[in-house]
Amino acid sequence: MSTPAPTSPPSDAIVRQKSRTGVYVAVAIVIVLVLVIAGFSAGWFKGSSPGGGSPGVCQPPSGTYIEGAGSSLVFPLMYQWETVYGGGTAVNYASVGSSSGITDISAKTVAYGASDAPLDAAQRQTATGLLTIPESAGGVVPIYNLPGVGALDFNGTVLANIYLGTITQWNDPALVALNPKASLPDQPIQVVWRSDGSGTSFIWTSYLSLESPTWAQNVGKGTEVNWPVGTGQAKNAGVSAYVGETPYTIGYVDLNYALTDAIQYGSVENPSGTFVLANVTNTATALTDAHLTLPTAGGDWYNVSALNSPGSGDYPITSLTYVLVYQNLSGAYGSSMGMTDAQGLVDFLYWAVTTGQSYSTQLFYVPLPGYIVTADEASIGSITYNGASVPNSCGASV
Amino acid sequence: LRCVGLTAGRSRGSGGGDSPIPAVTDSEAGTTGTAPSLRRSPGRRPIPDLLFFGLVTLGALVLLVLIFSIVIILASQSELSFRTYGLGYLVGTRWIVPTSASPFQVYGAVPFIVGTLLTSGIALLLGLPLALGSAIFVATQAPNFLRGTLGTAVELLAAIPSVVYGFWGIYVVVPLMRTTVDPALKQYLGWTGAFGGPVTGDGVLTSGIILAIMIVPTISAVSRETLFAVPASQREAALSLGATSWETTRIASLPYARVGIFGAIVLGLGRALGETMAVTMTIGNRDAIPTSLLSQGQTISSLIANELTSNSGPLQYSAVVEAGLILLLISLLVNVAARLLLWRVSGGRRVVLAQ
Repeated sequence: MSTPAPTSPPSDAIVRQKSRTGVYVAVAIVIVLVLVIAGFSAGWFKGSSPGGGSPGVCQPPSGTYIEGAGSSLVFPLMYQWETVYGGGTAVNYASVGSSSGITDISAKTVAYGASDAPLDAAQRQTATGLLTIPESAGGVVPIYNLPGVGALDFNGTVLANIYLGTITQWNDPALVALNPKASLPDQPIQVVWRSDGSGTSFIWTSYLSLESPTWAQNVGKGTEVNWPVGTGQAKNAGVSAYVGETPYTIGYVDLNYALTDAIQYGSVENPSGTFVLANVTNTATALTDAHLTLPTAGGDWYNVSALNSPGSGDYPITSLTYVLVYQNLSGAYGSSMGMTDAQGLVDFLYWAVTTGQSYSTQLFYVPLPGYIVTADEASIGSITYNGASVPNSCGASV
Repeated sequence: LRCVGLTAGRSRGSGGGDSPIPAVTDSEAGTTGTAPSLRRSPGRRPIPDLLFFGLVTLGALVLLVLIFSIVIILASQSELSFRTYGLGYLVGTRWIVPTSASPFQVYGAVPFIVGTLLTSGIALLLGLPLALGSAIFVATQAPNFLRGTLGTAVELLAAIPSVVYGFWGIYVVVPLMRTTVDPALKQYLGWTGAFGGPVTGDGVLTSGIILAIMIVPTISAVSRETLFAVPASQREAALSLGATSWETTRIASLPYARVGIFGAIVLGLGRALGETMAVTMTIGNRDAIPTSLLSQGQTISSLIANELTSNSGPLQYSAVVEAGLILLLISLLVNVAARLLLWRVSGGRRVVLAQ
């Protein structure tokens, strides 16, 4: 009674059968792993050229592979670029957020970074020799989810007070005053912000700092701030998905995300007192009217701002977004940055700020004005590899 | 009747391990005691055997090296935070990043330790009954045709990537919580103080519920296998003595499978503690101690996901890494506590037997 009988034959058979299946599975896994490892080392998954480039475009060495990471604001445009860019160069951009992009390029784990927030003083010290090259611009818009309520008007003060938590209800008198015709519900506002370090947050908090002294003193601007109220979501896509799905929320994303995800976004009052609903035209005029004084590519871009542009029809929350790349490319991407890779990178950047700009409008980004493109061309022209300059192979004018 | 269960528990204990053929009797255990000397005849090992020995040893060693290198990296990368705050980091309740408004920064781990323990606790509380129930049903009660189907269904749950759980959370659970569950909890259990604050749909409770669903397959699948491994003779013995179905499960199956089930719970808890994506998408990512189960918070894993690479400087970075070290420590403590508990439970039984 105290000793259990040995395992009965049927269950023994099951065990044996099971263990044999286990062996098959294990063998299959090992084979797959070996194939994958072999594939990586043999370069099967790398650099398959996405269709030859059209004639008259860049002629970089084929088979180069460029990895970039950063801003989720500019990701849709980057994705378009990497899809259409030919020239035998595969570009792979990861939308990890601006702060992570800066971290990655500082650690030299990517060939280029992208950020909507310029490098601050500390970051410039950590990663010396980084060039700041504006590659596009866009508008950041307040998105909201109010069932049955149409277009809303906001101004900087009201947006700041919502994000400060001093305006807590959708039918707050300040909101009603701006939107006398809208039937605003008696519901609490759920504020949504970016939980990761974000260039979009930088643009948003910079704008709120300009508009509200209380915000500037208590919260300030940054890729990550100490949000007084609300819920955090990761990346533009996360904020967009959350607001799109959750009634009575308010958030902020790049114009592209609001339009492609079909989320209601509000007009914002500009310094001329006009309420402007962001679109490709009024963000473009905002960038032109800002008449930016551009620093040198290696200089301090922290205070370059196209916010609150003076034109009467300009959208007030418009900002440049930047590519970050080392001026000296030797050793800039660990040991894997060879001369051909440097050439491929330079060509891609040159193509992006010139030909690539034609893809901006369809994706609701602002094509760079001529004077910024000229400055970019000079910046890209200053890139070197092993002491020698790396001229682009795209021809003088594109 | 009691004797059957007790002996089962004991022989299981002496058999050790999770071998599918655990019915090692005391006498057999005695003979296996001499077996190693037979196996270890020196110099006469065939080559396949040596190869096998080498491979498995290598596997074990690589694992050890991995664990140690992770600990060393975490420790060295969190040095700055440790030097700045010392043990104060463990009791610090504020997490403030520097901005243009104020360069002041301070980092404390309490909000995230609380967030982690709360969400995992909720997950275990809600998930364990579900997981054990389904495991016991499949292993002992289900008709044959249901066994395979149910088992596969549970394993399918385990195969769903956590980001999918996160999306499901945002699109299904969060709206359900906001419109139905949270208001009801507030209305009927608001007096407890655990369900205060604004109703938003996301937060600690929502993440806990999603985690509960995520750990069910882990706990259920492993428990089920252990229950399957209970020899039929155990259950037959109980049945022959007139035990009902429930009694048989209680006195024959469960005690026998105790160690395995415990292991399953620890595995599940481990998954809950470390889960990142689904939590990040539903907890609200606020760097503050949750004021109620409905309020937003942050777990250590979601903190790392949000702020490891996107930080405002070296001090914040090392503070985030130190949080990772704490998570490792929590997992270790959970494991040790589980083992102690298990040891005490089986120890207690031995004492009873000795009397």
